[in-house]
Amino acid sequence: MTTRTTTGTGGGSTAAPEPAAAPRSLETVGLSKSFGGVHAVDDATVTFHHGKINALIGPNGSGKTTFFNCVTGMIAPDSGSVSYRGRDITRKAPHAIARGGIGRSFQLCRVFPRMTVLENMLVAVRRDRLREMFTGSRKPEEVDKARALLVRVGIDHLEHIEAGNLSYGQQKLLELAGVLMADPETIMLDEPAGGVNPALIGRIGTLVRELNAEGKTFLVVEHNMDMVMSLSDHVIVFDRGRPIAEGPPSVVQSDPRVLEAYLGI
Amino acid sequence: MNTALLFQSLVLGVLLGGLYALLAAGLTLYFGVMRVVMIAHSAFLILAAYIAWYFNQQTGWDPLFSLLITVPLFFGIGVGMQRLLITRLRPATLTMMSVLLTFAIALFIEGMIGFVWSGTQRRIQLPYSGDSINFLGASVAVVKLMAFALAALSLALLYLLMKKSRFGQALRATIQHKEAAQLVGIRTDRVAGLGFGLGLATAAIGGTALSLDATIYPSLHWHWIGPLMAIIVVGGLGSIPGTAIAAMVLGIGQSLLQVPLGTTWAQTLFYVALFATLMLRPQGFFGGRLAQRF
Amino acid sequence: MPSASDTRSSTAPDDTTGPGGAGRPAGAGPWRGRLTTGRLIRLGAFLVCAALLLSFPSMAPNPYILSAGVVVLSYACTATAWNFMGGFTGYVSLGHAAFFGLGAYSTALLIRDLELSPFVAWLLGGVVVLVVTIPVGVAALRVRGASFVIVSISFVLITLLVFQGWDAFTGGSNGLVVPRPFPELLRPEHHRVFFYLFAALLGVMLLAWWAIDRSQFGMGLKAVREDEDKAQALGVPTRNYKLAAYLISGTFTGLAGGMYALWFGDLDPIFQFSIMLGAYMVLMALLGGVRHLFGPLLGALIVGSALEYFKMEFGDTQLHLVATALLLALVVLFMPDGIIPAARDLVRRFGPQQSSIREMTAAELLERNREAAAEAAARTAGGTAAGGTAGDGDRTDDGGTDGAGAAGSGKEEER
Repeated sequence: MTTRTTTGTGGGSTAAPEPAAAPRSLETVGLSKSFGGVHAVDDATVTFHHGKINALIGPNGSGKTTFFNCVTGMIAPDSGSVSYRGRDITRKAPHAIARGGIGRSFQLCRVFPRMTVLENMLVAVRRDRLREMFTGSRKPEEVDKARALLVRVGIDHLEHIEAGNLSYGQQKLLELAGVLMADPETIMLDEPAGGVNPALIGRIGTLVRELNAEGKTFLVVEHNMDMVMSLSDHVIVFDRGRPIAEGPPSVVQSDPRVLEAYLGI
Repeated sequence: MNTALLFQSLVLGVLLGGLYALLAAGLTLYFGVMRVVMIAHSAFLILAAYIAWYFNQQTGWDPLFSLLITVPLFFGIGVGMQRLLITRLRPATLTMMSVLLTFAIALFIEGMIGFVWSGTQRRIQLPYSGDSINFLGASVAVVKLMAFALAALSLALLYLLMKKSRFGQALRATIQHKEAAQLVGIRTDRVAGLGFGLGLATAAIGGTALSLDATIYPSLHWHWIGPLMAIIVVGGLGSIPGTAIAAMVLGIGQSLLQVPLGTTWAQTLFYVALFATLMLRPQGFFGGRLAQRF
Repeated sequence: MPSASDTRSSTAPDDTTGPGGAGRPAGAGPWRGRLTTGRLIRLGAFLVCAALLLSFPSMAPNPYILSAGVVVLSYACTATAWNFMGGFTGYVSLGHAAFFGLGAYSTALLIRDLELSPFVAWLLGGVVVLVVTIPVGVAALRVRGASFVIVSISFVLITLLVFQGWDAFTGGSNGLVVPRPFPELLRPEHHRVFFYLFAALLGVMLLAWWAIDRSQFGMGLKAVREDEDKAQALGVPTRNYKLAAYLISGTFTGLAGGMYALWFGDLDPIFQFSIMLGAYMVLMALLGGVRHLFGPLLGALIVGSALEYFKMEFGDTQLHLVATALLLALVVLFMPDGIIPAARDLVRRFGPQQSSIREMTAAELLERNREAAAEAAARTAGGTAAGGTAGDGDRTDDGGTDGAGAAGSGKEEER
């Protein structure tokens, strides 16, 4: 199985830059999580590539979102380990993982509905010193940065609207901008194209590509095959809680195991 | 503590645990169908006990017959409460606000009981109140045995209903995964209403059982809600078998501790168990993953 | 960039919660000017209210009314203290009476057993509550939502049991007499002094709440209230933040309890660890509005006065339970955001001037947005791909503005 081959190198903890074209970003080894006998994630060993757009696809209920939640610390895995750029992050608190450079979005887009768009952005501002935490929350440079990001996703004119009053598409853009506010090096998107119109899908795709060109690594869970195939550099296919195939989009597309998983042939 | 006393406490603990299990099952039902922590559960329990006492006062019949009134009445109130009050709350803040709403209902009931029947302590005097049965050396009051029998019978009925009937299936499906239940065509709002009614019916039965044996007063429900809440957290919110086991274990524990420590300190067992559960296993010892999130 | 400075002028005052609660201005002259007018009005109103409050002791016709005023003020303290947890994080604690009782008893016992001077004992009592709150908070905050409420209720029930059961130390149900801190004062003078002491404590709490409200810490707490998972995913250390809020809230409640002990001079577990007291805190804060600085104070003035009135008119009947229950149910069902937002929306609905500003806002937004989009297009018109994006952006932006306008006007109807 293709994924098994990566396990050998996954054990090593050094983050030495590999000569290969794709250094490791996030990796899991033997990750498992079950809910009352249902193995949502089952011994999954996966390696994502740094600096690339990685896509995670699979039929409904194949454990993608649970996998996501285990990796970002939202759910404690039953067994297995997660590492990011050589550092072990298994069972770390979600905020620690976020501060370690991994930002994420949620499956059904989540914003803070009764805070304004600008406040939504400023939540991600990080303050470590106690004094800074208790002084005013808005520094001009942070507000400027938030506005610049809002301009980038195209919702800057809404900054004083409560986020709950935005349209679904606008909320998706806001969520993405909020993730960017923390300057993550890796961004995990859970179904960025889910429930939005084709124009916006194109727009989100373009944003992802631009950000990738600026050096951000992406892990994208997605159902929209057009988006996955056109956007990603590396595709991993999940079925029943574990990866069954991986590779460039064109290769994965014609893999018989993938067809079997999707179509049940 | 000698063995006879130990055995006596053990038997009493089992009898008490049975009543706890029935009441905790009701709480679990509300939580299962609506994610509502029903603070008013024990207030309804005391209300049922008062109705049983009043019924006995007025008619002179055995308080058990008051079940014919309270069970359907409470079932109806439960359905009405869910349909008219709980569903009015915003889904986003449902859990917190429903706690406050049911808290308000508990206060209302307590206040009305005090208003109608005054704050005086009440107790039913029955011809068989003083009788007891010798069971393997332990002397057990008949009324306690009757209360247990009532609780056990109701729990068994509830179990059969949940396992065998179509309604029970729908109820379990709703508890386990509301959206999925909707997808397969279960009208979860109706099921939730009936679940509420069923939960409140356990309070009616429990209250009648309680009235046989206990001195009742309006603020008594606070002494019940704490232990019951502790039981459902220790058992794992949403798990009926889990809460039944926790109810038995804690009921027996309380009964055993009563001898050396006295009633007041024995009650702290529940809270110690609650805090220990939170520190060791916040999702409860028998429950699923629901508990921590709600 | 100068983005949306004029849209801010029309909406920013709506978002603020206290005097000067608005963020620091990022420039923009007209904005500052308009806000100053608003600020002056706020400041004026604030000063008038504060003056009225502080002159209450000299206006009170008799010592009984004065003592009722002290009680109401102590309610205001506890409700405001509760709101550090309930308002910021959305975690409803029904068991804050436990902190009140612990503060009261710690103060009293420190005076009785260690013979400390009253106000040293009071401060140390606050420290005791803080120390007790840490393990309780760690345990309680391992769960969310309903489980947290259960734990909070359990906490007040367990403290009640302990303080009743341990009567050798606490006096149990026989009560505990606290020596009066100013033995030379007559009763009305005693009430007057404590009125001002409670007012000072309340002032400190309000200042602290206001400071947190506008801090990054407060931002994190509010994010927890809105969506805890999301806040975590954005890097907010939610557990520590919640614990900090819980400690602040518990300690302030304890200090209010200690002050009450010094004033009232007689403690009984039944009243100090009463679940009703915790319920009053929740009711007052909710009624006034938990998202607002003065919400709990306002709620305390209303509910506290009503309770005192009830006590005077009807004596100690069960009816106050029923009244409290009905009021709580009504607030939860029909006004979960409290009086302050409801009143503000009422004013907004009947103020024609305000609505015209709203319409202007939508138009302004449209205008602004066109400019911004054009600017963005100009800025990013480097490569062909980027140009395409800007074009895309233009279209969605327009759609967005319509949405915003609709949302703006929809908001008024909805509320």
